[in-house]
Amino acid sequence: MPTGKAAGTRCSGSNLSHSPSIIRRLSVIGPWVLVLPASLALLLLLVLPVAGTLMESFGNPKGIWENYRLFFSSSYNRAVLIRSFWIALQATAVSLVAGFFGAYMIANSRPGLKRVLLIVSVFPLLTGVVVRSFSWMAILGRNGIVNTALIQLGLIDQPLSLLFTQGAVIVGLAYLFTPLMILSLVGVLETIEDDLYLAAESLGASPFGVFRQVTLPLAVPGMIVGSVLVFTGSLATFVTPRLLGGEPQMTLATLLYQKAMISFDWEAANTIAAIMMAVTILCVFLMGWLVRRATSARVAQ
Amino acid sequence: MADHAVTLDNVVAHYGRTQVLHGLNLSVGEGELVSLLGASGCGKTTTLRLLAGFIQPTSGAITVAGRDITDLPPHKRDAGIVFQNYALFPHLTVADNVGFGLKQRRVPVAEREARVKAMLARVGLADYADRLPAALSGGQRQRVALARALVIDPPLLMFDEPLSNLDAKLRIDMRVEIRELQRANRRTAIYVTHDQEEAFSISDRVAIMHAGRIVQLDTPEVLYTRPVNAFVARFVGFDNLLPMTVIARDGDAVTVETVGGTLLTLSLGMTGPLPDRFLVGARPEGLEIVSAGPETIPGKTHTRSYLGRAYQYKVDTALGVLTANAPLAHDHGQDSAVGLRLNFEHCCILPYEEN
Repeated sequence: MPTGKAAGTRCSGSNLSHSPSIIRRLSVIGPWVLVLPASLALLLLLVLPVAGTLMESFGNPKGIWENYRLFFSSSYNRAVLIRSFWIALQATAVSLVAGFFGAYMIANSRPGLKRVLLIVSVFPLLTGVVVRSFSWMAILGRNGIVNTALIQLGLIDQPLSLLFTQGAVIVGLAYLFTPLMILSLVGVLETIEDDLYLAAESLGASPFGVFRQVTLPLAVPGMIVGSVLVFTGSLATFVTPRLLGGEPQMTLATLLYQKAMISFDWEAANTIAAIMMAVTILCVFLMGWLVRRATSARVAQ
Repeated sequence: MADHAVTLDNVVAHYGRTQVLHGLNLSVGEGELVSLLGASGCGKTTTLRLLAGFIQPTSGAITVAGRDITDLPPHKRDAGIVFQNYALFPHLTVADNVGFGLKQRRVPVAEREARVKAMLARVGLADYADRLPAALSGGQRQRVALARALVIDPPLLMFDEPLSNLDAKLRIDMRVEIRELQRANRRTAIYVTHDQEEAFSISDRVAIMHAGRIVQLDTPEVLYTRPVNAFVARFVGFDNLLPMTVIARDGDAVTVETVGGTLLTLSLGMTGPLPDRFLVGARPEGLEIVSAGPETIPGKTHTRSYLGRAYQYKVDTALGVLTANAPLAHDHGQDSAVGLRLNFEHCCILPYEEN
């Protein structure tokens, strides 16, 4: 009987607040017991290995910065670092543009259609990274869809080498991470009141003027969050640059793999991992600061 | 008035398959403030949106200042709109919000700044130019919205329930302020509201809307004293609608029978033709509570509420439950047999209709 149960709960509740009992003590420890498994797993599987990686990267007997000095003294490594940043930046730009229009369309569609479009745009996230990267190999390969189509249209005689280029990596990464951009932007675009668009229009702003002066500035927080997600994701992803970029388009992630699994240079691998981690953390902090700056003033009190 | 500032000519509008306006005709004179008054869903907001160009009519024509704007997009209509939730741009300062319309019109920066400054001074916000809307109170935001709509010198000002988010005291101050600004600038204005008092206090004329049609368009004074039908009568406070059947007429004196067989002799103060059946609309103060007797509607008081200046009684009669006010000095108690006498100062005659 629901009422009896409710009364019982209330009863034990009042006991709980009046007399120190085993239940009361349990209610203090209880939450800690509940988070214990997850905390232990995090400690063992994330915190300790990460700490180990960091310590190892500082563990060169010649001095704690020696591994970093070694890494940065190689012009090849520096080129890989810059290429990684450059690729991640371009992938971010592509997915920002593509994601914005997608998100804008989704945010302004009817509720029913909106849900369908959101699911469709997020659907790629549900398939494996490897599968998705392989599918781009099929599209961009020598006998892939693009080359076949261009040859049949008579636009080219010889197949273009699209694969193992920077463009291929950028397209692959943008495709991989645009759903994250769309999600970040839809969240922000949906909160813009329709009346703001109507007000801008009625004051004489053309549709493009409304977009430039109202939509775009109000979407900035979502653009920052989405960009950081895409940028850090692009920087860290291994499979896409490995499959679509290969040896010529070596990035930090693929270099890390090579150092660890092929040349067994664990110190170098740890150092690269630490650098990637530092960059990611820096980006997240930068994002937090920028978003706060962009929104703090205009949040209603 | 020969040329009207705003006309809607037989405008029909649909939302999807639902028809929301059924051939609306409305003419507003130069510098006039007309309110559209009605409950939600009566079509008043739709009418405003049509004027603003946010929706397109199915048929009919809209002209503003002699120009047919039916097919113009919103940004070419020069409408100054004050929105219910103000719709201020949260990322722009007060000055930039007010200057937004001038910027779209490519008004030179120096002139724009001067006009914004003058307008802000006018609405008492000169010191707030560099604030963001989030740092303003509700009343201040309302003033910014007003300034933003006025500064572009629109041929037509539109208000969409602009005061409904303010508290009662501020609402009264702001409606006086809106009226003064509208008059001083000689702006033609359309004002949408569901608040009868607000509409009557601010408007030159009020259009009472119901189910996509204008039921009556008149000055507040005429609406208040001479509603055209039972719907308007109820809207303006004629709480009691009493059906009457004419038995005999002798010049000014008309003998009528009402539900329950009560015979009353009414002195209507009119000599024109009178239908056989009609309704008398009576405000609560138009029903005097007296002791039961001839020329009164017999009834029994049941609920009494204190209104400050009077007691209000619910009285059970053969015509249903009627509402009557009585001076504080006359305490009729509850459950006592009384008579109700019509005081024609607070009554109106309406065409007969079934409830």
